[in-house]
Amino acid sequence: MVQAKNGNNQQVQEPEVNTTEQASAGADNARENNPKNARPEELVHLVVFKLGTESYGIKIEQVKEVTVTPAITRMPRTPHFIKGVANIRGDIIAIMNLEERFGIRPAPVSDTEAVSTTYTLVIEAKDYSIGVVVREVPQSLNIAMSKIDKAPAFLQDISINENYIEGIAKVNNQLIVVLDMFKILTNDEIKQLASE
Amino acid sequence: MKSREQEYKEIFIAEALEYFDALNRHISDLERNPQDDHVLAEIFRLLHNLKANAKAIGYLQISDVSHKLETAFSLIRNKELSFSDEVVTVLFDGIDMLGELISNIDNPGAGEPDPVLLRNLDIIVDNLSDSTIELAKVQKYNTSRKLSLSDLIYIQIKKLDHLLNLVGELMIDRDRILSISRDLNNDELMSVSSHLYRITEELQYSVMDARLVNVGSLFNKFPRIVRDIAVAEKKEVNLELIGQDIQIDRNILQIITDSLLHLVRNAITHGIEKPEERLKAGKPKEGRLALTARNDRENVIIRLTDDGKGIDFKQVKRAAIDRKMVTADAVDNLPQAELLSFLFEPGFSLAKEVTEYSGRGVGLDVVKNAIDSIGGRINIESERGKGTSFILRLPTSIAVKGALLFEVDDIYYAIPLIHTESVVSMDISELHEVGDVLLADIKGETITVVYLNELLNAPQEQMRLGDATKLKGQVQNIIIVSYNNRKLGLIVDKLYRQQDIVVKSLKKPLDNIDIYGGVTLLGTGKVCLVLDVPAITRFFTNRR
Repeated sequence: MVQAKNGNNQQVQEPEVNTTEQASAGADNARENNPKNARPEELVHLVVFKLGTESYGIKIEQVKEVTVTPAITRMPRTPHFIKGVANIRGDIIAIMNLEERFGIRPAPVSDTEAVSTTYTLVIEAKDYSIGVVVREVPQSLNIAMSKIDKAPAFLQDISINENYIEGIAKVNNQLIVVLDMFKILTNDEIKQLASE
Repeated sequence: MKSREQEYKEIFIAEALEYFDALNRHISDLERNPQDDHVLAEIFRLLHNLKANAKAIGYLQISDVSHKLETAFSLIRNKELSFSDEVVTVLFDGIDMLGELISNIDNPGAGEPDPVLLRNLDIIVDNLSDSTIELAKVQKYNTSRKLSLSDLIYIQIKKLDHLLNLVGELMIDRDRILSISRDLNNDELMSVSSHLYRITEELQYSVMDARLVNVGSLFNKFPRIVRDIAVAEKKEVNLELIGQDIQIDRNILQIITDSLLHLVRNAITHGIEKPEERLKAGKPKEGRLALTARNDRENVIIRLTDDGKGIDFKQVKRAAIDRKMVTADAVDNLPQAELLSFLFEPGFSLAKEVTEYSGRGVGLDVVKNAIDSIGGRINIESERGKGTSFILRLPTSIAVKGALLFEVDDIYYAIPLIHTESVVSMDISELHEVGDVLLADIKGETITVVYLNELLNAPQEQMRLGDATKLKGQVQNIIIVSYNNRKLGLIVDKLYRQQDIVVKSLKKPLDNIDIYGGVTLLGTGKVCLVLDVPAITRFFTNRR
C-alpha cells in the first residue's frame, strides 16, 4: 500500500521516475526561456492515471492515498458508475468508476493484464472521501503551472463537463487532462447521483 | 428506583451549590452597586429557582430560607427596604446559611438552621424600615468555610455524539479482533480479546447511559402548550402525563419533539370536541389527553391518547379515492389498519379549515419521516366516537441496533429488528403467483412476498417480482417486515443470525440513496449493507 500525503513530494511509485525527470526537464526549459524571471516557476504535483487510453491527472492535494483496490461490496440500486463501497482503514467509502461516469471506452485488456490488480485513489473532499478506481499504477508528476492550458477551445466538445476540467497539460507529447475532483464531487453531482 | 432518586438528589445538590456560588458573587456585586437592577433581578431569579427546586424534591428548610431571602430581595427591588449595612449583613448571613443547608443535605446531624438568624430575616422582611427592633447579633459560624467544586459537569451533546461514534468504531474493530483471534486459535489472543469485548461493552453502555435523559424533560413542556391550544380552540382539555422518568437518548427525544407537538395539536384541534358537543355525546365536558411513556424491552413506547371523536373512516376512504390511492371498489375491502396508513401519505389531510394550530399542510407524513429517521415506528388506533391513539415505538439508543443478518446474491445485508415481524421458512409450492407479486398465507394472514434479489438486482424494467421460477432451492426463508401497518415478506438467499450492529451512516455521495439506512462492518471485516425498511417498502410500492 502506498501513501501519498497532502503536499508531500514523495513519489507515489517507482515506475514514475522517468516521467518526473522528463517533467522537471520541461520545467527547466521553461525557466531557461524566461531568464529574466528570477522566481522559480510554480510547480504542480499531479497524480496521473489512465482512463481509457488517455492520461488524466489530479492535483496531489486532492489525493489522500493510493492503495490497491480493496474488496468492493456492490450496492444495488445505485448509479452504474458507483462500483460499491469498500472498507478502507475502517472508513466505508464509495468507490467510483470515472470511465463509466464520463462514458469513456475502457482500454482493451490484453491477456497478460487480464488478472492484474487495480488501484484506488482515495480523494478527500471536505467532509467525506471517495475512491476512484484506475487500471494502472498511478504516476506522480511535477509540472510547471504554465504547462496547464486552462481553457482550450475543444473543451465544450467532449463528454466530460467542462467545469470538472482544470485544464490540459502537455508534457513531452503526452496530453494530460487535469481534473478538479472537488468539482466532480460538488452538490450538482450529488443531486444528479440521487436522481439517477 | 432508589438510584434514580439518588441521581435526582445529586443533580439538585450540584445545581443548588452552583446557585449558591452565583448568589455569593452577585450579592457582593450588589453591595458595591446597590442600584444595579440586573444583578438584583438575577439574585431574585436564582433564589426563586432554588426555592422551587428545593420544594419539589422536599427540602423544605432550604425552600423556606430561600423564600425569606426572596421576599427580602423583592422588597429591596421595590425600594421598600434599603440595602443598608445592617440588612446586608443579615442577607449575607442568610445566604451562608443556605450554603450550609445545601452542603448538609446528606448529613442529618447538622441540626436546624440558626433560629436567631431566621428571626433576623423575619425582622427585616416584616418591619420594613422600622428600625426600632434590634437585629440580634448572629454568631458567625463559618469563617473557615471549605471550598468545593461541583460534582456535576455540563457537557455539550456534540461531545457525547463524538464519544458514541468512537465507541461504535471501537466495537466494530473489537468484533474483527475477536473473529481473527478465533481463526488464529491463539489462547492468549483469545483471552485478551474477550477481555476487550467486555470492556468495550461496558464502555458502550456507559456512553449510552450518559446520553439518557428523562422523557419528562419533554413531557413537562406540554401542560402549558396544551393549555394555550385549548384556549385558542375554545376547548377544555385535561392533560395527563405518565412515565416522565422513563429514560431515552437525548437526540432521539430531540428528533421527536416537533412530531409530538404536531400530534398534540392535532389531537386538540381535530380530536377533542368542543364542550357542548361532548356533553351531547354523553362525554364529560372536559376532554382527556394522555401522554404516556413506558419501556418495552429495548424500546421506549410513547403513547398519545385522546378521548375525542376518533378518525372518520368514511372520510379517509373518500380522501384516498379522491387522491387515487385506491379504487372505489377496493376500498371497502381494506382492513382498518391499511386505511389508517393512508394518513401518513404526503399531502393527505382531512383538515377542512386552517386554524392557528393545525391544518397548515404539515401532515402526518412529516411526523412519520422523523420517526423513520431514527428507526422508530408509529401506529394509530382509532375508534369512532371514542378517541384516537398514536403509538410511537422508539429505540432507546441511536447507535446500536438489534438486527437480522442475511445474504442476497452474495452480499451481506441487515434489517433492524424494530421493523421485523417474524421469520418463516416455506416450501416454494406455498408461494402463489398472483398478478405481479407472490402471495403466501402466513399464520392465517395473506401477505405479499417478494424475492429480494429480484427487487434489488433486476433491471427495473425487467423486474418480475411475481415469478416464482426466479427463486433458488425448494425451501424459502422469508423475513416479514412491517411498515406503516403493512406487512411485506422478503425472500432472502441465506439467513444468518440476530446481532447487535453499529450502523454507520452512508457518507456522500451515497447518503441520498435511501433504500440503505447505512452500513456496518462485520467481525470478518466484510461490509454489510443495512436496509431501510420504510424506503424498501416505498421502493416496492412505487416500482411501477
